[in-house]
Amino acid sequence: MAAIASIRMPGMVLLALVATGAALAAPRRDYLITGAKPDRLFVIDAAARTIKSEWSIPGANDLVATIVPSPDGRIAYVLVNKMESISGIDLDTGREVFRADLSTPGERVKCMFGFDVTPDGRELIVYELPVKLGLSEYQVEDTRFAVFDTAAGLDARPVRQFPAPRRIHTVLARKDGKSFFAFGFDLYEFDRVSGRQLGERGIRNWTYAQHSIPDLLAFWPASEPTGVFSTPVYSSVPAADGKGEVPKTALLTLDLTSGKLDYHDFEDTAALIFSTVLSPDRSEAFGVYSQLSRIDTRSNALAKRVDLDHTYYSVAVSTDGKEVYAAGAMCDVTVFDPVTLGRRANLKLPGCPDQSLASLRVVRR
Amino acid sequence: MSGMKPTNRKAELLLDAAAGGHVPEVVAMESVAGCATTFDPGWEVDPFGGVASLCQPMEADLYGCSDPCWWPAQVPDTMNTYPDWDAGKPSAQGDWRELDSVFPKK
Repeated sequence: MAAIASIRMPGMVLLALVATGAALAAPRRDYLITGAKPDRLFVIDAAARTIKSEWSIPGANDLVATIVPSPDGRIAYVLVNKMESISGIDLDTGREVFRADLSTPGERVKCMFGFDVTPDGRELIVYELPVKLGLSEYQVEDTRFAVFDTAAGLDARPVRQFPAPRRIHTVLARKDGKSFFAFGFDLYEFDRVSGRQLGERGIRNWTYAQHSIPDLLAFWPASEPTGVFSTPVYSSVPAADGKGEVPKTALLTLDLTSGKLDYHDFEDTAALIFSTVLSPDRSEAFGVYSQLSRIDTRSNALAKRVDLDHTYYSVAVSTDGKEVYAAGAMCDVTVFDPVTLGRRANLKLPGCPDQSLASLRVVRR
Repeated sequence: MSGMKPTNRKAELLLDAAAGGHVPEVVAMESVAGCATTFDPGWEVDPFGGVASLCQPMEADLYGCSDPCWWPAQVPDTMNTYPDWDAGKPSAQGDWRELDSVFPKK
């Protein structure tokens, strides 16, 4: 509008530029995105401690799971409908602007959490588990990646498909947009266009001296604000006295820009952690389950741990690192001090619907 | 495997696979890929052999287990078999009285 004004009304140029400048200078804010049963999608103004929007996702069918924000933070792609559909919801209007129903007559397709949007916002990469539904039998088909055009509207069909390993549960696009990572038994990387496998690094087959085969539960795909994905990993090492084993918890990190994969033990396993997130300067990580943990990533040691009022599945941190958020499982989002881990605020979702497996994401706009 | 004994034919097949060098084909999955494929402890015991590290309260975890068919022996599978089990009951802590038992369809 400023450009139009400057052409048609020269006398208004200064005013238009001032107005545009004011709009650009408007402070950006963190918004928390979470979902809940049966079809809820919430946009929360983190600083104001208020629910900015509450949207209904069409055809959610009592399930709201993985949430992936578009790179510009304006659309949330949400896994719904018994994990058979991905719905794109405009966060400003609540309107459904994208829909991919994965199943077709005769073939039931589930996506077990694993999908991501490419950094240019143009494509969704979805891990699919297809089953052919016969009259008297089910036939398990080969797993695959399906790529959808985010501009395809409400009847999106795959524009590309290519084979995928089994047991994938997290898909993360590399920041250069050329490839994507997939967590399964191991960490795989695939070319975004051709689907060619570019790499395979050990998770189950890791090379961590003395450590057993690890276990991980990486269902929460958040990597903001650092662009580094992190998750706890559990394994064991032989006890010092040679008798038995000692359980260990490590923090696994995957830098989505450089592709660097790292893991370091930080404690003898003393508490479960479901999801973790790195602080903006990457010097700390926060993890939740029935406790909130702070991990010093420089010394690879547990720095602090507090008991929570109930179990939370999902953790996030503000873009400036000054607040930690816990959500998932039940019907509230709780705000914590990142240093003391003391509770600063608690926001109950209207009607108290369970968030269950819904991701907690942070978008800054 | 040394501390475990097979109690049914499927479990015996695992030993056969181990003897034949085919363990990767039958090893318990690391993550869910459909119903009843996980090999995690259920709600009886946590990884430490107690109950203190199970989700608190158990209602916090109820739909987190039924939605991905995490442990269908204890929670109805809403993904495929009992999709309406939780319909109209969005809050496990508030609606638990309405969540009925389910029985195999004849």
